[in-house]
Amino acid sequence: MRLTEHPIVKFKRGKEITIYFNGEPVKAYEGETVASALYAAGITTFSRSFRFHRPRGFFCAIGKCSSCMMEVDGIPNIRICKVYVRDGMKIKTQNSFPNADSDFLSILDSIVDRFYPHGSHYRKFNKPKVLRDFVTKQVRRFAGTGNPPKKAFEEKGSFEEIETDIAVVGGGPGGMSAAIYAARTGARVVLMDENPFLGGQLVKQTHRFFGSGKHRAGTRGIRIAEILSNEVGELKNIDVRFETKVFGLYNGVVGAVEKDKKLLKIKAKKIVIATGAYERTLLFENNDLPGVYGAGGVQTLMNVFGIKPGDKGLIVGSGNVGLILTYQLMQAGIDVAAIVEAMPRIGGYFVHAAKVRRLGVPIYTSHTIKRAIGDKKVEGAEIVKLDENWCEVKGSEKRIDCDFICVAIGLSPTHELLYQAGCEMKFVPELGGLVPMRTEYGETTVEGIYVAGDVAGIEEATSAMMEGRIAGLDAAIKLGYGGEEAIRLRDEVVRDLKEFREGPFGERILSGIKKVTFEKEAISVSAPEREEAISEGIE
Amino acid sequence: MKVAVIGSGITGLSTAHNLAKQGVEVVIFEKKTYLYGASGRNSGGITTMMDRKELIELAKRSIKIYDDIQGEFSFNFLFRKDGYLKVADGFDMGRLEKECRLQRSMGVKVREIDPFEIREIVPGFNPESVDGGFIGEGGVIFPWPVIWGYVEGCRKLGVEIMRNSEVKGFEVENGELKGVKVKDETIKVDFVINASGAWSVLISKLAGVELRNRIIKEEICVIESLKPFIDPYILNISTGVYISQSARGEVVGGVVGREATEPDTSSTLDFLIGYAKGAAEMIPLLKGLSVLRQWAGVYDASPDGLPVVGETELKGFVQANGLGRRGMSLAPAIGEIVAKIVLKGKEYDEFSPSRFQFPERTTEN
Ligand SMILES: Cc1cc2nc3c(=O)[nH]c(=O)nc-3n(C[C@H](O)[C@H](O)[C@H](O)COP(=O)(O)OP(=O)(O)OC[C@H]3O[C@@H](n4cnc5c(N)ncnc54)[C@H](O)[C@@H]3O)c2cc1C
Ligand SMILES: Cc1cc2nc3c(=O)[nH]c(=O)nc-3n(C[C@H](O)[C@H](O)[C@H](O)COP(=O)(O)OP(=O)(O)OC[C@H]3O[C@@H](n4cnc5c(N)ncnc54)[C@H](O)[C@@H]3O)c2cc1C
Ligand code: FES
Repeated sequence: MRLTEHPIVKFKRGKEITIYFNGEPVKAYEGETVASALYAAGITTFSRSFRFHRPRGFFCAIGKCSSCMMEVDGIPNIRICKVYVRDGMKIKTQNSFPNADSDFLSILDSIVDRFYPHGSHYRKFNKPKVLRDFVTKQVRRFAGTGNPPKKAFEEKGSFEEIETDIAVVGGGPGGMSAAIYAARTGARVVLMDENPFLGGQLVKQTHRFFGSGKHRAGTRGIRIAEILSNEVGELKNIDVRFETKVFGLYNGVVGAVEKDKKLLKIKAKKIVIATGAYERTLLFENNDLPGVYGAGGVQTLMNVFGIKPGDKGLIVGSGNVGLILTYQLMQAGIDVAAIVEAMPRIGGYFVHAAKVRRLGVPIYTSHTIKRAIGDKKVEGAEIVKLDENWCEVKGSEKRIDCDFICVAIGLSPTHELLYQAGCEMKFVPELGGLVPMRTEYGETTVEGIYVAGDVAGIEEATSAMMEGRIAGLDAAIKLGYGGEEAIRLRDEVVRDLKEFREGPFGERILSGIKKVTFEKEAISVSAPEREEAISEGIE
Repeated sequence: MKVAVIGSGITGLSTAHNLAKQGVEVVIFEKKTYLYGASGRNSGGITTMMDRKELIELAKRSIKIYDDIQGEFSFNFLFRKDGYLKVADGFDMGRLEKECRLQRSMGVKVREIDPFEIREIVPGFNPESVDGGFIGEGGVIFPWPVIWGYVEGCRKLGVEIMRNSEVKGFEVENGELKGVKVKDETIKVDFVINASGAWSVLISKLAGVELRNRIIKEEICVIESLKPFIDPYILNISTGVYISQSARGEVVGGVVGREATEPDTSSTLDFLIGYAKGAAEMIPLLKGLSVLRQWAGVYDASPDGLPVVGETELKGFVQANGLGRRGMSLAPAIGEIVAKIVLKGKEYDEFSPSRFQFPERTTEN
């Protein structure tokens, strides 16, 4: 399943090592995640669902969906798509008997579901008391996913307290740009990303970028990632923390865990949130079957780790992501059976669609996926035509042969940290979902917390970089760095960004941005006052 | 007769339920929504292992009510009576021994347990972390279905529950309460029950009544789901760290709260650090596991540790608060008491708000 030849990406594999999966040796290469190593070895069922023990494979490959949780070296509930292999590592599936691949408890799925639908553990068998007590005990028997560790974790954790001017969360184009522009004014910056590399989504983009010439159009995404991360590396006042997951914002204090072992308490005067976005999923029968993946998950597997997701795929969604993914798959020698699109027309740019058509991939508009077919993994899919009222047209079902399905229906902003910090949020469909209110410099309603990139609204790398620069500069300016020159530069980027959005594709974005931009002096509410505002119905 | 209850926490709901059962017209005003208060944020530890006679009686009665009422409502509270374990270091063992004598004298089943025996009940418990403990009646309840159940029960009896309806003031005439101000409206009522938990001092101030409850903020978190291995609810009275495992297998734990100046429910990193240390010291197997989520809640505690229940100097204004960190164990019984006060004019000196105005009557803990 490993790719050896690729026209654009050169896969430099690390040393060959052995890991153990449910006791069996599996070949792996240093530098790859446990999930990719297992997948390359043909293992597709990664876990069983919590209640009905349905088989689950990986979906997102970025630690967001929880369907890849396993026990690693005795520690339960580890998302193996975010853990890198080590020689001799022992990996076990959990919540299944005897293992995730053939789990006897999966009968729960076929039998119990009918009598015991979701949520009913509060509702059913409540009377008489004897029965209730019995059921309460039984519920507990099936509860829990991981096994409690047999012995205590031996490695010692450590702790570091850091004081800095600006903390940047997320090392994609948005976060890197914020860090670079802030650091150039002399501000001290801590840049954190959960991956062992910088670049965010860009590391998966093997294609040449669209966008204006001034903003690196024509350059491949992976190359932009390289340029930016080199620049980050050259600036001595940026402290980069790799494999560092930020889990909370506590009133000017950033809580993070570095390399699973070290707790970081970062006191920052300003914070820039550039956490990007994650894949949305779609409701259809069997949408949790191993082999149904997010587009980003497939890109990660293929373009970052050089592993084939399968032999023949079905792509759901014809936006740019779906179209680009299609030709990235073909590039890697993987067949694409078809693209289905619920809308009556193709969503993405014409150039991408034309390219896909040339490759001979059929695009079914006004179609959707009805169900995934297969027992333990995808063996095919059923698609169906939609009429103008978005209702299925009876009799139009069609079977597509494929061994994986990619859901590419869009991204949602990774907004959790902002929400937790008390930033005022708004649901704006044009921007992809729940996004924070912000000033034209990206500052949210919580003073000192900025946003940049996809987390502020799903857009593109070009605008993410510009938003990053603006946020980084403004944060530095407010701290007294950079002087007139920084102010001039910030205002120039603000103008550039406006101009960029006035292009043909910016209309929707602009209308979204309008809904969430506020003038700071007008409504500068801090977190506690915000509660008041909501309770008074002002919102 | 019309009664307004402030707060849709367990205290307000059980009060409303008891009043409505007697045919009283009841309206509950809730400034946010169900589960917003401590009743939706607590750890669900239920026990009769208390340090005061009055509390033990209330807890016993409450457990009985939970058992009966679950069949009445269509919700299973997932009340698991696998025991309540209090542990302590040498310095605090005396306190536990003393309360144990009281508990036994009142028929509570409780026994001393040594740290090595605890390890047989709770795999992985570190016997070195404590000097001793007592295990007795109790266990864990899931607070959410309790609240959902009471809401359903109240509704069936015709109680009106108004969410997003903050009480902003009162109408008072000649030292008598006449109405409640909610959303620019004044609603005429005969009684107001102040069951607003951590906000009860603020509400009392609005009514011009003195209440000396303290606001306590407590933080709590859950660790990702594991196969059940912790049966009893464990509370270390020396460190304040407590741990239990929910019906879903999530390990729920926190540190007993501290006084705060205002009802603030923000989470802190320092709590996580402190709890992680305390929990890993007590059950080292928890080291290396991931925290799934954290949150905080606020409740109110009275100066002498007993609830504050009874009519105040302002006629018609009734306190039902100060339940402390034991509200889940006490509130079902408190609801019955409030109903008796309102309907029968009964007086409970031990809980009466006026007890604090006579210092010589204040009992020491
Ligand atoms: C298939 C595809 C094709 C695309 N093509 C183009 C194109 O041609 N032109 C174009 O301009 N744009 C394109 N884009 C869009 C572009 O990739 C994104 O808009 C851009 O990467 C967003 O940048 P960002 O910095 O906001 O977020 P991201 O690049 O998503 O980076 C966010 C980073 O933050 C990290 N992170 C998240 N949460 C945490 C946390 N709690 N702690 C630590 N780290 C965290 C993430 O791991 C990630 O590394 C494409 C996107 C896709 C999916
Ligand atoms: C972390 C934590 C752990 C705990 N663990 C336990 C435990 O293990 N066992 C146990 O027995 N107890 C425990 N407790 C305590 C228990 O939760 C409380 O004692 C109990 O929930 C109090 O209930 P209540 O109804 O009095 O108050 P609350 O549940 O706080 O309800 C008060 C309600 O009043 C509303 N309100 C406030 N102001 C207004 C207004 N102006 N107008 C209208 N409505 C208003 C609020 O929104 C709130 O919903 C714990 C508490 C916390 C925070
Ligand atoms: S969390 Fe690992 S695949 Fe989604």
